[in-house]
Amino acid sequence: MSRELTPPPAGYDAGREHMLDFKVDEQLLQVVETDAKNFILTTVDEVFNWARLSSIWPVTFGLACCAIEMMATSATRYDIDRFGAGAFRATPRQADLMIVSGTVTAKMATRLKLIYDQMPEPKWVIAMGSCAIGGGPYFKYGYHVVKGVDFIVPVDVYVPGCPPRPEVLLDGLMRLQDKIRGRKGRFIAPKWVTDYAKLIPYRK
Amino acid sequence: MEQNAIYELLAGALGDGALGFTENALEPWAAVEPAKVAAACRFLRGDPRLDFDQLMCLSGIDWDGLDEAGKGKSVSILGYSDDGQPEQSDRVATGDFGVAYHLYSHALRHKFTLRVRVPRDAATVPTVSGVWSTAAWHEREAWDLLGITFAGHPDPRRMLMEEDWVGHPLRKDYVMPGLWNGVPLQGQPYNANPFPVTSGGPDKPAGDKPAEG
Repeated sequence: MSRELTPPPAGYDAGREHMLDFKVDEQLLQVVETDAKNFILTTVDEVFNWARLSSIWPVTFGLACCAIEMMATSATRYDIDRFGAGAFRATPRQADLMIVSGTVTAKMATRLKLIYDQMPEPKWVIAMGSCAIGGGPYFKYGYHVVKGVDFIVPVDVYVPGCPPRPEVLLDGLMRLQDKIRGRKGRFIAPKWVTDYAKLIPYRK
Repeated sequence: MEQNAIYELLAGALGDGALGFTENALEPWAAVEPAKVAAACRFLRGDPRLDFDQLMCLSGIDWDGLDEAGKGKSVSILGYSDDGQPEQSDRVATGDFGVAYHLYSHALRHKFTLRVRVPRDAATVPTVSGVWSTAAWHEREAWDLLGITFAGHPDPRRMLMEEDWVGHPLRKDYVMPGLWNGVPLQGQPYNANPFPVTSGGPDKPAGDKPAEG
């Protein structure tokens, strides 16, 4: 469908003064109403943050009894898919979130670090349960337990409990969404965005 | 078959290898010579009157500070102090090691328990993995956690701990490492901030680099 843009009306000033007196431009109004009915104004940061927080895909990764609660969270009664985080990926390459659900043993810690390193940026970690937060009941005599997964990978949200109920894990997920929503200025636009932006004419 | 009768048969087959039968216990058990345990197991499995076709469990035991009935002074286990430091002790464990074999016969529905006792500095027991193949994993675990060597084992590797782990953690004189392969096992002090700063501040989430196109 070809579109003929209307030329600027006579007396159209190059500055922005014309925007202050809200004279209705009939021709422009016609263009808006016929060709481009729906507008939304936002920033690239907000759009990408919104997309990311609405689809936090966790990696399929369960360590201990907390994983049972994580599975209950993803099942129908609590339904973590309401928050867009129900697509547990079988490969870390497709995942954004690692829910460390359970006791991190020394033997597992090396594997956990490997899986974390395989996840693409940006990525987040939820430490779920007492063991993942600080060793839990294995703090004193656990010769094989890492006393907190934050020794191994950086943790964004700590979810306490032994194990935490599904509501608490959902709350932790929402806190993570809050954290993602607040990300600012951390987005470097892809090349196709900057290239496309150069094509948009603007007045000096 | 009654356990007394089973022991009579076993003692008849082993001769000097059978060291006695303890009846007044929760689980009556027979003590055998460590060198004869493989022969005893082969007899218990092969004899048609006994027919023990299952090894229910094989347990390693550290008898340090305990008598054979499991009574004695309680031995404190070394852990981490409240400051998060590994507890050190110069106490030397001297007690014997033991291995217990719990047997069951599905056909005849009777149970039996064997025990051997070996000195700590020469903790070697012949393997019974040729009699019951499930013993191979049990013996790997007993060697992994207690350091009891099973002579003739077909696959003597660690079972639970990592391959390059040093020491046998369930020994009573085991001292925990503070660091293993770059993985810290040492705890944090109880009074310290449980949430260590792993990032540059609240505006810079940990491990959070800007995405690149």
